[in-house]
Amino acid sequence: MSEIQEVAAPRRRINFGFDKYSGIYVWALLVLVFALWIPDLFLTADTFKQVLTFQAISAIVALGLILPVAAGAFDLTIAGTLTVSVCFTAWALTSGYGIVVAAGGSILIGIIIGLANSLVVVKLKVDSFIGTLGMSSILIAIAYRITDSSQIVLSTAGYAPFFEFARTELFGLPRSVYYAAIIALFFWWILEYTPGGRYLYAVGGNPVASRLAGVRVGRVTMVAFISSGITSAFAGIVYLATIGTATPDSGSGYLLPAFSAVFLGATQIRPGRVNVPGTLVAIFLLATGVTGLQLAGAPSYVTQLFNGAALIIAVALASRTARRQG
Amino acid sequence: MTSATIATSALSVRNATKIFGAQVALDNVSIDVAPGEVRALVGQNGCGKSTLIKILAGFHEPEPGIEVLVGGSELSLGDPIASEAAGLRFVHQDLGLVGNLDTVDNLALGQGYITNVIKTISWRKERSKAREALAALGYDINVSIPVAGLQMSERTAVAIARAMSERGTPPKMLILDEPTANLPGPEAQRLYQLVRRVADSGVAVLFVSHHFDEVFEMAESVTVLRDGKLIDTRPVAGLSEDQLIELVVGRKLEEHDKGQADNREHATQVLQLSGVGGRNVSGMDLTVHKGEVVGVAGITGSGREEVAALVFGGHERSGEILVDGKALPQNRPDISIERGVALVPAERHANASLLDQTLRENITLVDPGRHMSLGVLRRNPEKADVRVWLDRLSVKPSGKTEYKMNQLSGGNQQKVILARWLRQEPSVLVLDEPTQGVDVGAKADIHTLVDEAAAQGAAVLVCSTDHEELVRVCDRVVIMRRGRAAEILRGDKVTAENITAATIGRDRAEPAA
Repeated sequence: MSEIQEVAAPRRRINFGFDKYSGIYVWALLVLVFALWIPDLFLTADTFKQVLTFQAISAIVALGLILPVAAGAFDLTIAGTLTVSVCFTAWALTSGYGIVVAAGGSILIGIIIGLANSLVVVKLKVDSFIGTLGMSSILIAIAYRITDSSQIVLSTAGYAPFFEFARTELFGLPRSVYYAAIIALFFWWILEYTPGGRYLYAVGGNPVASRLAGVRVGRVTMVAFISSGITSAFAGIVYLATIGTATPDSGSGYLLPAFSAVFLGATQIRPGRVNVPGTLVAIFLLATGVTGLQLAGAPSYVTQLFNGAALIIAVALASRTARRQG
Repeated sequence: MTSATIATSALSVRNATKIFGAQVALDNVSIDVAPGEVRALVGQNGCGKSTLIKILAGFHEPEPGIEVLVGGSELSLGDPIASEAAGLRFVHQDLGLVGNLDTVDNLALGQGYITNVIKTISWRKERSKAREALAALGYDINVSIPVAGLQMSERTAVAIARAMSERGTPPKMLILDEPTANLPGPEAQRLYQLVRRVADSGVAVLFVSHHFDEVFEMAESVTVLRDGKLIDTRPVAGLSEDQLIELVVGRKLEEHDKGQADNREHATQVLQLSGVGGRNVSGMDLTVHKGEVVGVAGITGSGREEVAALVFGGHERSGEILVDGKALPQNRPDISIERGVALVPAERHANASLLDQTLRENITLVDPGRHMSLGVLRRNPEKADVRVWLDRLSVKPSGKTEYKMNQLSGGNQQKVILARWLRQEPSVLVLDEPTQGVDVGAKADIHTLVDEAAAQGAAVLVCSTDHEELVRVCDRVVIMRRGRAAEILRGDKVTAENITAATIGRDRAEPAA
């Protein structure tokens, strides 16, 4: 509203939005550096497509994590859920079930995992960090059980209709990228434009005050866990349709990047709270950095290094912002 | 005190004065306590009791001119270690025990364990020592379970046993702060006996108290302070409760109304409590009518602090609560809100605020969907709605719907919480310590808002320790004592002095036993 801006405007002179949009500036800087350093390798349509495609699955997992974190709960089962979903879908397909049964079963498993997490955290009152850590170990065990401790490979020829699910291209980009975009839009709407979003942030901000304001805290937490369960399970289906191989450690590389993206994202766009656009900025910032370095000849462990450092820097930045505000 | 006792006093304080800034907290107070005597120290909040105790404990440096003798030898002041070495032992109201440690560990805290030659703790000796210490106080308890699992009076006994242990010098005087504040009747009795045993062993006991029960049951003599001055020290025998209240409050009191009968039959009953009980409260009956403001007063531990949550349904409770004739379920704040109940809880930071969220989000936390259309929350109508409430409650700075809650002063934060609930147009408005940590101007504003809410037909319940506040806003004031609605003050009986006197009065109808 104009009134507000008139009053608020004199407080700041020129604002380039370094506080809210620093990630976008850093991203632009990275693009510029790599464009000058390795123009032939970096500034290509292939690289652009590669970054988007590789990050679609990470993005879906990270987006699923936003709701529980907004509600103040850690969900460490996201990678385990993805793994179980990958393994279950592969097992179902190779056992002769149709795509709908395999995918539907995976989503159902995601819902059940979300319910189990809620049972542990809400009813048994186990701290979410500990509870979901335990749950994720159980999920890995289940994945080993499903795959019989080995891998299930889907042949490209035999399962072509299934691979279409993620690989069919639209305007030069695979479907998986569009799935990530749709999920991002959906969670952004939930968090910014529905009462449910208010309740999630309220529970994350002060569960006692929320309860006394009539918010069903346990129910909100449960919905958050179920939504992350469904989203991770969906990411598992997309993963299998992209990669084609299921192993009991399929998801192991997705936990840390998702947390890095969500926490780094909480310093962006709407600083101080986890949010969808911030998480997307963080994912593509991290991906651009990693891809650029790899193209420039850096060893493959640079991914782990980059993600780990980014997580620590993100949280340090966030607590610094919080101190300045407080 | 006669001059004969001075020579042998366990404690003798001469001319204690303490000034904080411009305020005289303690004005030339002298007291003597004989060995084996049990003395109560009473007075209203701010009368100087705590200041005196803290001088004895070495936490406050008193003004010069004071002389303190413990067992005849002079105490060096302003040094907690010297106080302990002189034989003064303190048990605070919170007892200072570590709940998840057992009695043995709690007794060893601060004085170390018995060890053998290779510095291993000798648990067998520790346990038997702990058992002996408690047996001396008349308690036989399992010393190897966490103290959190003990009864309240047993925990008090553990704290007293720790205070009474040798630690270099034998204890000469035990100083207790509100020893039975949180104890139900029978446990209080057990503690009275414990204190007698301590006194019988020759140790003097001085206890600070708001409970006249414990004064009359436990003490031989009572010292009354008022506004930092010593009013009198008298033997308890022959003293009536009314005389003691008069000494504490400073003037004669009119008779209070008693009982629950209410002659407001013509007004609509909005809120009805029957037989409501919780952790501290039991069998509470109360009716609040449309447009009426009812206060709830009581000292800490009386159940006052629980009433608001019980009415709102934030706690487990027994009994029945009706709002407009319909029963309210327990533990379901969402349903209470639907039925038109609003709660502004005490301690707004912990219980009401989303500190790093905007005023808008704080106010619309209840019913955020009001400005939803086509599946989307409309931000501009929401801001306009919030701005109306910020203006109506004159929240400063004005019109800042997007300010974070933690950018406001305490008084303005409290107004934002109040706005959250007034926006619901509640039929029952429950306020718990509504002006806690609020400046004078905001306090007056909040009182006006309470008047207005009542004028618009809300039934208002105000729980407060600020007796002036209750006088300002309430038509009636319910007095809580030992978990029960013990008394009701009405009309011109609603004065701060009467409320204070009634909260510390004894339960005449139901003696604690």
